[in-house]
Amino acid sequence: MNCVQYRRSLLEDPQHRDTGKRRHVQGCPECARYTEQIRAFESRLQHALRVSVDPRSGNRGGRPTARVWPVRWLAMAASVAAAAVIVGSLWLAASERSLAAAVVGHMPEEPQAWSNTDRPVAALKLEAVLRDAHLRLKADAGLVTYASSCSFRGHQVPHLVVQTRVGPVTVMMLTHETALTAMHFDESGYQGMIIPMPHHGSMAVLERGAAIDMHTVESVALQVENALDWTA
Amino acid sequence: MAGVAQRTRFQALCQALRPDLVRFAFWLSRDRDLAEDVVQETMLRAWKARDSLQDEASAKPWFLTIIRREYARSFERKRLLTVDVDELIASEEPTLAAADDENLRELRAAIFKLSAEYREPLVLQVLMGYSTAEIAAELGLSNAAVLTRLFRARQQLRVSCGEDTRLDPEES
Repeated sequence: MNCVQYRRSLLEDPQHRDTGKRRHVQGCPECARYTEQIRAFESRLQHALRVSVDPRSGNRGGRPTARVWPVRWLAMAASVAAAAVIVGSLWLAASERSLAAAVVGHMPEEPQAWSNTDRPVAALKLEAVLRDAHLRLKADAGLVTYASSCSFRGHQVPHLVVQTRVGPVTVMMLTHETALTAMHFDESGYQGMIIPMPHHGSMAVLERGAAIDMHTVESVALQVENALDWTA
Repeated sequence: MAGVAQRTRFQALCQALRPDLVRFAFWLSRDRDLAEDVVQETMLRAWKARDSLQDEASAKPWFLTIIRREYARSFERKRLLTVDVDELIASEEPTLAAADDENLRELRAAIFKLSAEYREPLVLQVLMGYSTAEIAAELGLSNAAVLTRLFRARQQLRVSCGEDTRLDPEES
């Protein structure tokens, strides 16, 4: 694979990696820089596409809809939408909020994890924590300074901390917690997101403090997600 | 008559998927109200066809296929032959705006300006997590055609947003 082929493939699908690509980028500093550029752009693109949506209703202000529905359909729509709002929002709010709350609730148990440090966690320790969850982390996950296997809702899950220019960001691999869709949360001074990991549960990424920057949270989420290698 | 449990489960599924479905419909139509309409109608059609959904894990692609059909129908009904993109951007300003982040707004406006043939595969890949093969199957294209569209989509967005494109490859 040459530089043009590598960069073209990156613009086609920045998430896709294979041995050929990895080998090329390892031996080409210019393509390594280009990869960073494209990943940063991709992170912004993901953020841009995720426009805000009220998850609880189909209500909207502004212009009236152009379409006139038959009465029978309108009645059905009202019935389904109303029931969905009531039942669905209770179900969704309960399950997703409780998961976010449980993640946030776990944070005070390990205050040492939030240290600002540039000392990476021992490779063997990181490997052992991840192995239990059938995971490996490639080198480009960022500077991981903390790794622990934590008890979370009845399961042992990897609890990692990745250092960024604005401080530590916590990542929890919730391999037993299914999330149907990505959600942001803001609870008790922590902000973050829970992202579905198809076939592997979900991942929580969060930050705390006064200078919370959701761009950083999303970048770390993307970076870690790209660096994950599931072994089972 | 569907059982209460089945209905409850279906409603919960709709509610859980709704944000991403609305986002997909929004980027497809570039019209928030139309997106909401399309999603609502999609859910009604999905409810009527619920027996064809064998596995909840495949619910999202199932809904997306219905959304694409619904949007095509609404497009035909409205006969939207010409679109002034600047007008569209102005009318959807509340959705495109990003507090304290002008770059994000600029990127959203650039996505608006992409033609549908580039915008749709990009949204399926980036927002919905579709693989190239899944996009190809959904859009009835070859894998190579999908990759070309994705390449061009990113290339155009990067130029529109003033990114440093000196290292970008030329189209072969």
